[in-house]
Amino acid sequence: MEKKRIDDYEPGPLPSPRQLDRFGFVKQEIHNSQDGLTKGRSAYEFDREERRVRNWRKMIGVGGSDWKHYVRRKPHVVKRRIRKGIPDCLRGLVWQLISGSRDLLLMNPGVYEWLGLFKSAVILSNHKSQVVEVDPQLVIYETSASELDIIRDISRTFPSHVFFQQRHGPGQRSLYNVLKAYSVYDRDVGYVQGMGFLAGLLLLYMSEEDAFWLLVALLKGAVHAPMEGLYQVGLPLVQQYLSLFDRLVKEHMPKLGEHFTQEMINPSMYASQWFITVFSYSFPFHLALRIWDVFLYEGVKIVFKVGLALLKYCHDDLVKLPFEKLIHALRNFPEDAMDPDTLLPMAYSIKSTEVSCANQLIKTWTRIEFLSSSSYPLEWKRAAMEERVGVLSSTFSMD
Amino acid sequence: MARTGNKNIQAKLVLLGDMGTGKTSMVLRFTKGQFFDFQESTIGAAFFTQVLSLNEATIKFDIWDTAGQERYHSLAPMYYRGAAAAVVVYDITSMDSFERAKKWVIELQRQGNPNLIMFLVGNKVDLEEKRKVGNEEAEQYAKENGLVFLETSAKTAQNVNELFYEIAKRLTKKVPSRPTGMKLHRRPQETGRRRQLPRFPQLFVRMLVYQIELHCGPSDLKIKAALNEK
Repeated sequence: MEKKRIDDYEPGPLPSPRQLDRFGFVKQEIHNSQDGLTKGRSAYEFDREERRVRNWRKMIGVGGSDWKHYVRRKPHVVKRRIRKGIPDCLRGLVWQLISGSRDLLLMNPGVYEWLGLFKSAVILSNHKSQVVEVDPQLVIYETSASELDIIRDISRTFPSHVFFQQRHGPGQRSLYNVLKAYSVYDRDVGYVQGMGFLAGLLLLYMSEEDAFWLLVALLKGAVHAPMEGLYQVGLPLVQQYLSLFDRLVKEHMPKLGEHFTQEMINPSMYASQWFITVFSYSFPFHLALRIWDVFLYEGVKIVFKVGLALLKYCHDDLVKLPFEKLIHALRNFPEDAMDPDTLLPMAYSIKSTEVSCANQLIKTWTRIEFLSSSSYPLEWKRAAMEERVGVLSSTFSMD
Repeated sequence: MARTGNKNIQAKLVLLGDMGTGKTSMVLRFTKGQFFDFQESTIGAAFFTQVLSLNEATIKFDIWDTAGQERYHSLAPMYYRGAAAAVVVYDITSMDSFERAKKWVIELQRQGNPNLIMFLVGNKVDLEEKRKVGNEEAEQYAKENGLVFLETSAKTAQNVNELFYEIAKRLTKKVPSRPTGMKLHRRPQETGRRRQLPRFPQLFVRMLVYQIELHCGPSDLKIKAALNEK
């Protein structure tokens, strides 16, 4: 971690490395024993890990040069290896390759710096040491609501991680820069609570600029369905994912689905943050990373599948609980349920026509949103609507 | 009032207010006696329960703590719907948060249930030197709108327990003496007839619900419950 001296940089008490887990989070006594990585490794495991990293390096090539070729030739091998978890030392690079953010970065040189020029008066006055030549008009223009929201949330994003703990430290500043750049880049979305967790997670594995482009790749849909609908006004995609998840629960676990209905539990009471932050909020970090590996390669369906797997794992307990206990359980899954090596294989094994229908639906939906938000002729919009209704009926006519 | 002197009341309570006003901190102070200077932002909503015993009754709170940012507004109705009490929180050091609180009050008056007990709470009184919203101003506003007004500090615990006791007291007054186990949730009738919807084709109704949700947020759960019956 770099250490720069800035005027208003007040280093808080830095926890000693012993108190941190492998990822830099301050350890909580409760899951001291099982962060999934502190367990001692045998020589055999160590060897195996080494071998894995070697294989991965071969697959990627120098700086990612062989990656595309490899993916085209052996997509199933790539998929299988990603599902086993990307080696931590290569994660940052691989994430950029599989999300398409690398290409975005290369296609848009200088854009991130340019966005960075939109510093507001607030920040300029705080950081006198960073003198930036800015058009004064831009400065005024940019003191937006988003920015104030970002500032208010900065110290409340991963507050237990050493990188983000220090007020105005390098972590918080990077986080601010990335979120601010995104809010300028995409005014419709701006900054929405929850995006900080995505950016924070990414910043632990890559530079500011790389993290920014990965965020763009995700929200704008470089490879998979765009996520921006999760954050736009009205959170339309959240609503949609949740109602779909509701149906999936009923399809896969009818008994639990019935119990949820009886207890008036609906997924927005427990699952909205799963989708909004892709499990990076209030889930064990090592699990979040493994989910992100797959999420970036295979898309949002893994979020549905992990959600279903969690419910499935705890099914027999959940069906017995009354409302309050049920909500509590759905927000505090037991440690053993959140072991990636148990949970993920379970998630992979969930097959559903509806999940793939869901993907279809999301793609169509995004097109329609795009059409309806723009000034296309009415007939086009209607055609698009009808197309959606068509997809809808194929999705919903299963019972 | 109560003959036995011991009613059991279960009440749904919702916290609303701008981001960073201290909603989560207030609940954590009340339920766990904890306070963190940097409390993680709430994404979506959080749920807590706490039991309070008064002389007249035992109140079990089901507390929905919501995400504060304007963008999450569309999720809010599902948390305040059917609530017995709402606590609208602002930060005394931020005029914006007070304005936002007023908007919440208006929304609750319009859409919430008429029996809803509403509290207006100015949090962070430990930051007196940074105060932007005057005590009198807020009190005046609360009076005009029939709200109970309190100033609190989740950090120093000032008035936090008092707030929840006050809510509990008002709830017990509202609830006529009835057999124990009274619930202040709007829930479907446990037994007997749920209202039958006209028998539209299932698919059609589903699509309707879907469309409603798409445009107006989560739709009435009753429709869904009825759908799932069949």
